[in-house]
Amino acid sequence: MFTTGTKLLIGSAALAWIGAAVYGVAQEGALGTIGLVSAAVALSLLAGINTFVRDSNVSATDTESFETSAAAQATARNSLWPLLSALGITMMALGMATLPAIFILGIVVTAAGLLEWLVQGWSERASAERAYNDEAREVLADPLELPVAGAIVFAVIVYSFSRVMLGMSTKEATVVVFSVLAAVVLAIGTMIALKRNISTPVITGVFSIGIVAVIAGGAIAGLNGEREVHEHETTADLAEENECGPEETHADDKASQTVAAKSNPAATLIFDGAALEIDQAGDDGNSETLTLPRSNPSNIMFLNESDGEARLVLELHPPVDESGVPISIERICTTLVEEGGRQFMTAEFDRPSFALEDEGVAYEFVVAGTDASVEVVVP
Amino acid sequence: MTESSPLRSRLRTAALVGVGAVVLASCAQDAPQDTWDPAGSEAQRIHDLQWPIFMIAGIVGLIVMAVVAICVVKFKDRGQPIPEQSHGKAWLEYMFIALPAVLLAGIAVPTVATIIELNDTDDADCVINVTGQQWWWEYDYPIAGDGSICGYMPTGETGTIVTSGQMVIPTDAKVVIRGTSRDVIHSFWVPRLNGKRDMVPGGVHTWNFNANEPGIYAGQCAEFCGLSHANMRMEIVALDAADFQSWIDNQLEPYQPPEEGTLAAEGEAEFVAQCARCHQVDGLTDADGNLVVAHPEDQVYSGAAPNLTNLMTRNTFAGATWDLLVEDCRDEVWDAPADEFGPLYLEGVTDECLNETQLKQWLRNAPAMKPMYTDAELLEPTDGLVRGMPYLALSEDQIDKLVAYLLERK
Repeated sequence: MFTTGTKLLIGSAALAWIGAAVYGVAQEGALGTIGLVSAAVALSLLAGINTFVRDSNVSATDTESFETSAAAQATARNSLWPLLSALGITMMALGMATLPAIFILGIVVTAAGLLEWLVQGWSERASAERAYNDEAREVLADPLELPVAGAIVFAVIVYSFSRVMLGMSTKEATVVVFSVLAAVVLAIGTMIALKRNISTPVITGVFSIGIVAVIAGGAIAGLNGEREVHEHETTADLAEENECGPEETHADDKASQTVAAKSNPAATLIFDGAALEIDQAGDDGNSETLTLPRSNPSNIMFLNESDGEARLVLELHPPVDESGVPISIERICTTLVEEGGRQFMTAEFDRPSFALEDEGVAYEFVVAGTDASVEVVVP
Repeated sequence: MTESSPLRSRLRTAALVGVGAVVLASCAQDAPQDTWDPAGSEAQRIHDLQWPIFMIAGIVGLIVMAVVAICVVKFKDRGQPIPEQSHGKAWLEYMFIALPAVLLAGIAVPTVATIIELNDTDDADCVINVTGQQWWWEYDYPIAGDGSICGYMPTGETGTIVTSGQMVIPTDAKVVIRGTSRDVIHSFWVPRLNGKRDMVPGGVHTWNFNANEPGIYAGQCAEFCGLSHANMRMEIVALDAADFQSWIDNQLEPYQPPEEGTLAAEGEAEFVAQCARCHQVDGLTDADGNLVVAHPEDQVYSGAAPNLTNLMTRNTFAGATWDLLVEDCRDEVWDAPADEFGPLYLEGVTDECLNETQLKQWLRNAPAMKPMYTDAELLEPTDGLVRGMPYLALSEDQIDKLVAYLLERK
């Protein structure tokens, strides 16, 4: 009467209708109900079309041949996949009571177990010949299983390496240990390459020992914890300590002189050694002020085209408290930018410019140690 | 001749009703957001591109649908034997590859050229900053190096103009907008002037357009942005040169406080007490003569609320969703011939034309008119900051005073 595809669509449509009714009553949510009703209507339409054209498969209506075929007579073989699914469901239950991560892992394990079980169940009824069925399973499952297994092994190795690297007492020790390790890997690889008739068990053994060693090392290092990593001073520290001057600081040491995302800044400020020029879309190059929105982070790109290093500073003129002390940071700055280098600065203004006029000040970009400046107008 | 079944007859009727509805929908009049009615050069470019593509795609679509319909009806299973299966007709397969490839290549050339043209921001006559937030648009007009705004030199002192809902532009000028967002992604779309441009927080996105004739061009946020996305509208008002100059001069007029002893003067005090925490009115001072500076960032998630300095020079409010003008006055402005439009628009909202009912309704309970996240019990995700205008529990007396004060803001 109904083909398999039609049954699936009718079932899905029914589920969507029930879901819409339950959601509508239980959650009183119009948006979700509209979404579910839309899905139900679409599925009902598809089910109707499928019923009309009978899945475009005349032979599908012949159910008798499916039930009496030789392939359908095979007995199901033992499978470990239900066990994996059960483990996944247990993890989900455990995760609900403990950690969300365990719950999510449980979902993944359950889904993987059910999928594998499904594929095995299908392959066992692919034909009456067991060897063919096994091959059919491999054809379907290998492209899924092998990349996933490879990714898991790769992730475990990378994670173990990272734990070992972070577990070393010093950065220098990490360099020495991994240089030696790399040399050993290279030596073993060379030996394997030079020896022509090396047996598979030997290679397997060497790789297995290597992987176990890496995982064991990672586990030990992970349990021991990470070494203390010295925090590098940043431009935020410079602003905090009011050190946005032309002198080189620790924050400038080894600072990147490149900007990865150059698109869509609010403006580019170009320093030619004497003045700051504003480069903005739609601008004819004659603007003397930069208009930036209030209460919204704006990204400004600083391009140093002068002959020396330069630092862009934004004077923020924050309000002061009763004792005349600024209530927030007075200025922010980029690192010292080398000749031809670029830096991004993200700035946010919480007062309009007219609120500063009474104090006789204005928001202003300046290049530290020079007279180059651009006023910022905040409407 | 066989008699058609009742089911088939019903299906035929349903199909006819469906097709009829689609055909009738295309006859809509008074459609201010009609992409097929361009009113500027950018929209015209899109129009010139989409017509031939629509024709090509339509013809291809009709052919495909006709073939599918023929196959479905003609080859439906009626118990007949399965037809002989055959494979291979190389010339046909080559044709099926070559024909779409040629079609797509032919479409790609003008499409890419149009995209490049639409993104050209050189030689702008007027630059306007656009900032989207839930659920309204803010426009500010930067001052050029020579003190001009949008290419027009103010008659008096220059300054920054901030407005919302309605963006005012000069006609026949290449307008470049620099857009961004304060909260989520919004999309700027005024169909009769140009296509859509997303405004993404953290980035500045440019778009350009011009309007051939004075008038109001309606638009709609085109990126789902939360609860009141459907109520986030925008309007571009185009004025000819003389009228635009008048508009700029008027916007830069210094603040005029209401006359003492009037209801509006009482409204000013109410405004300072109730509204000025979020809404800026430039030049407004408190009872001690101190400049009132709004701090919407302390109250609103986006950190902004519409500037109401010249509210009554616009004719919409609350994200350009409701009219400040009563219906007759609104129709008079919207339907005005191009040469009469400017003076009518510049009149702003008069006592007779004020849509007092909806403005008072808004002040009475804004979230009841426009869905917003303002329920104090549900603001944990935003640390107590509202998204939209909250219910302020104003008395009718306070509302009357505020309306009287706002009516003078032009």
